Amino acid sequence: MIPELQPWMLLIVAMIVFTIGLLGVIVRKNLLIMLMSIELMLNSVNLCFVAFSRIHHLVEGDLTALFVMTVAAAESAVGLGLVIALFRTLRTVDSDQIQMLRD
Amino acid sequence: MVNYNLLSALLSLPVVGIFLSWIMPKTSQRIYAIFGSLVILAVSIYIALQAGDTPWDVKLVWLPELGLSLNLKWDSVSRWFVILNSLVAVLAFSLRGPWYRKNSRLFTALGFFLMFALNAAFLSNDVILFYLAYEAVFIPMIFMVGIWGSNAKATSVFRFFLMSFFGSVLMLVSMFALIYLFKEQSGQYSSSLPDLIQAASVKNGQALHWCFLGFFLAFAIKVPVFPFHGWLKEVYVNAPMPATLWMSAILSKLGVFGFLRFVLPIFPGLALENQGWILALSAVSILYAAFLAIRANSPKELLAYSSISHLGFVMLGVFSLSSGGASSAILLSIGHTLVSAMLFYGLHLVEERKDVSDLSVSHGLARVYPVLFTFMFIAVLGAVALPGTMNFVGEFLSLLHAFSASVPSVVVGALGVVLGAVYMLKFYQQLGFGEASGDQTVKDLGVYDIAVLSVLVLILIYFGFQPMLLLKGNG
Amino acid sequence: MILSLLILFPAVGFLINGLLHLMAVNSKRKISANVSGFIATAAMVASFGVALYQFLLLRNIPAEGRIFEQTLFNWISLGKLQLDFTLRLDSLSAVFCLVITGVGSLIHLYSIGYMHDDETPAKYFSYLNLFCFMMLNLVLGATLPHVFLGWEGVGLASYLLIGYWYRDLEKVAAGQKAFIMNRIGDLAFLLAMFLAFRATGTLDLLQLQKIGLEPALVLPFGLLIFFACTGKSAQIPLFTWLPDAMAGPTPVSALIHAATMVTSGIYLLTRLSSVISSSETVLMVIAMTGAVTVFLSALMACAQTDIKKVLAYSTISQLGFMFLGCGVGAFDAGVFHVMTHAFFKALLFLGAGSVIHALHGEQDIFKMGGLMKKLPITSWTFIMGWAAILGLPPFSGFFSKDEIIYQSLTSPHGSVSFFILAVAAAFLTAFYMTRLLVLVFFGPSRVDAKVAAKIHESPMLMAAPLIVLSILALVGGWLGAPVHVGAETTTESHAIEYAVMGGSVVMALIGAFIAHKKYGQTSKAEKVNSFLLNGMKWDSFYLCTFGTGTQKIATGINTFFEEMIVQRLIRWSAVAVDLSGNILKIAQSGSAQGYLAMMAIAIFAILAWVIYGVGQYGKL
Repeated sequence: MIPELQPWMLLIVAMIVFTIGLLGVIVRKNLLIMLMSIELMLNSVNLCFVAFSRIHHLVEGDLTALFVMTVAAAESAVGLGLVIALFRTLRTVDSDQIQMLRD
Repeated sequence: MVNYNLLSALLSLPVVGIFLSWIMPKTSQRIYAIFGSLVILAVSIYIALQAGDTPWDVKLVWLPELGLSLNLKWDSVSRWFVILNSLVAVLAFSLRGPWYRKNSRLFTALGFFLMFALNAAFLSNDVILFYLAYEAVFIPMIFMVGIWGSNAKATSVFRFFLMSFFGSVLMLVSMFALIYLFKEQSGQYSSSLPDLIQAASVKNGQALHWCFLGFFLAFAIKVPVFPFHGWLKEVYVNAPMPATLWMSAILSKLGVFGFLRFVLPIFPGLALENQGWILALSAVSILYAAFLAIRANSPKELLAYSSISHLGFVMLGVFSLSSGGASSAILLSIGHTLVSAMLFYGLHLVEERKDVSDLSVSHGLARVYPVLFTFMFIAVLGAVALPGTMNFVGEFLSLLHAFSASVPSVVVGALGVVLGAVYMLKFYQQLGFGEASGDQTVKDLGVYDIAVLSVLVLILIYFGFQPMLLLKGNG
Repeated sequence: MILSLLILFPAVGFLINGLLHLMAVNSKRKISANVSGFIATAAMVASFGVALYQFLLLRNIPAEGRIFEQTLFNWISLGKLQLDFTLRLDSLSAVFCLVITGVGSLIHLYSIGYMHDDETPAKYFSYLNLFCFMMLNLVLGATLPHVFLGWEGVGLASYLLIGYWYRDLEKVAAGQKAFIMNRIGDLAFLLAMFLAFRATGTLDLLQLQKIGLEPALVLPFGLLIFFACTGKSAQIPLFTWLPDAMAGPTPVSALIHAATMVTSGIYLLTRLSSVISSSETVLMVIAMTGAVTVFLSALMACAQTDIKKVLAYSTISQLGFMFLGCGVGAFDAGVFHVMTHAFFKALLFLGAGSVIHALHGEQDIFKMGGLMKKLPITSWTFIMGWAAILGLPPFSGFFSKDEIIYQSLTSPHGSVSFFILAVAAAFLTAFYMTRLLVLVFFGPSRVDAKVAAKIHESPMLMAAPLIVLSILALVGGWLGAPVHVGAETTTESHAIEYAVMGGSVVMALIGAFIAHKKYGQTSKAEKVNSFLLNGMKWDSFYLCTFGTGTQKIATGINTFFEEMIVQRLIRWSAVAVDLSGNILKIAQSGSAQGYLAMMAIAIFAILAWVIYGVGQYGKL
């Protein structure tokens, strides 16, 4: 029998997705992949919101999740724009090549 | 409130000066800077006349939660340093050179910033305010050496910063310890000097000893006293002349002032306990620097070491730990400020006319520039503390007071009187005497330089016979 | 109230001439020697008038209260130390004032002629006036620091005047040497002041005499003061600067290095005699130093070939006589000899100057000779000076010198050895002075033919002071004789006194006779003993030890301490800071991912700590 979906299971999934996203940002060198990993992290947070709103029987969590999705869309647009701008100047999307913070 | 406005004018006017320097045209920065510093000088003299012998003590609450307040004090210790600060600024601004050709606005602004920081340091009656000002003094100095200095400037700036910062960080820690001590005793934070003096007078023990050492190190590096003088030569030699003048004439007095204002009042007992070795160190400092000055090969290096040597006499006066000794140390400090300002000012005028960086040959310039060298000679006489100059009174009284504290230190230190004559005469005669070589197309002094130097000479000699006018109101 | 005028006149003269000089050089003009000389001489004559007037007033006061005092202003008042700038005239300073202003005026007058062709006469005369101002401060100062003001001030003037022709670096070096050796003495003066102040709480000379020092302190105080005096008065061990000081213009040598400045040591010792004479050791050291200096420097004078150097060593020797007098307790005799010596030695120097002037700068006595006919005034006045320094009666030197020789034998502090050295020195004095006299003025002429044609007697401006001084050298002894000499001698000792007098005069005559025999007909240069010529190598000894010693110490300190330890320490600390910076720099890779990883680790660590910590302690 398939067990009933419990809210804490959602939290576990959110944690796993968040960790995947975080590791992706830290480990992967391609800026696009990093951007996608950030999206993963955002979505895991969304999942948390939804789960907590279910646990506490509140509607604010669901609403916030909707907000985050809107902001995430805008953010990924800005992020993609930045990546393209970087690619135009540096001819690369490899994060190892981009170390302008040091100097 | 009038007092407060006047004293805070000493802080606000230089700040106004900084901003105005960006408005003034680039080409007339020198005239503007001289004029501006003269105004501040006039204000400080006006305050001196207004205050007379009564000390002024004003307080403006700043951050009460942290016990920070703008405590300013005008008394017999601080007033001459404040006045000299503006006077030295007038002199430093008067020097012509590359700093008025390249980035002249920045130079003027840095100069006014230095005046501001020094005035704040000399007026502060609060350790945190003093520390902020004390550190702020570095900023313009470092920029000046870095921008207009000569070849090895980067290293020298680095060493200067490193050494001074090392001392002042220890001082900061000691300050916090004292503030904490006061908190422990009274339950509230305060960084004002009277509170800390009170706190330190109740407590004693090992911790206070470390605090004393922290303060001592910071000021000993600043003065500097042997063996903390390592930074000095490089910086003096590589700094542009106005910065050297500022450092020798007034920055070194920051250390003396620190001893008189903070160390002796906060730690009277510890100062007495450590008097022996500090006096010995000062005496060694006199001799050591004198020997190094004798073998110096460039005039700037020689004057740099002579500065250390002379400040050793000041230290003897300070650590004679008598009220007379402190007064004589102030007298000698004033004298040294004037004399070293005159020497560097004169040296700059000489260097404008001829390259004299090599002291092992004689240049024979006295015959070519007789007026300039007359002033130089009077400055040299001040430096060897010939009776009739203010320096004699200061040196004589410092040694006299130190004599009752430690005979051997005075005997050793007094040898510096002989060695002082050796290197100062060498300095003068290598520049002035002998046959002149090369072309001498540049003219002798102009009216402005003659006026400035004459005023200095008159002050030097007048107060050599009337030194007590400077000490009115001293306990 | 007139007292201050005494020092005011030279001060004003100094300022006027100094400013004139500066204005002149600034506009590339020349002030004539007549103008500046007149100003300076007028200042000195006015000062002499004041001194004379004060002296006459002083004589009318009964002996106990013979003091004039004028306080000009308060100088230093700090705690216990109360110093007024006070001038105080008593009989001792009156004698010095008269000598300084009187002989000073004559030498100023002489200088107008001597410095006529100089480039910067205004500078010269301003220095001379400065010297007189400082010297008057020295003898009139009522407190030790005031005396010290004059003491260093005359040293300064002496430095300036020795190196007056500063394009010649040798002359500059001579001036520097004088200043530094004097400073060594001044150091002792300073320490003596500190000692006295610590012991008595006052630096006023009168009070110091009244209070006195405790016996244990008399010895260090006396020795320090005496050491200071050996510097200023050119005694062993600090005498070597005086022969070199002859690099200055000759009138300067006459005024500063013969008549006045070098006698300030005698002044100071006499002034403090009541304080220091309670220590036998101090007196003995003074007397011994004096006696040895008298003899050795007379010996050195015998080998000199430069006319001024002979006189310089002779001055050292005569100063030794004065110190000998002070050392055996006869301070009056010492001061008396200061006065007579001022007359005849100034005369001899000015005479020598006149000769040098006539010979256009020639100073070697073996290139002179037979000048008697060409320079009659100079020669006759020089002979008067010669007679005075030999101590032939009735010239002034006879009274003062024989008094000292007599005292060195009979005074309670005297001894036979002092007496023998003094008489031997008197003999040598006669020898070298006669040698000088005959080589310069008699015998065959050894002057260069070119120079010989142009020899001329000095102008009246120079001759007049010579004549006045020669009269003083003749009668100067009578001025002081009734005051000082024999005032305390009892009748039975007169016999010894006459014997001593006769003996020393006979010794002098023998010395003169031998010298005359030896040098009467010299026609070419004599080979002199180089050991004596170079002042017994004292100078080279100092140069080897202290001169190079200082340099060696300086270099040693620089290489072994400053460079090796202090600078290296700083360099290392700089390197250490650099290194730690480099280590920390690794963390600052510039890669955003790296920063992110660090952040994440840190956050996890904090979270873990918070969670674990809460679990452990139950509260944050």
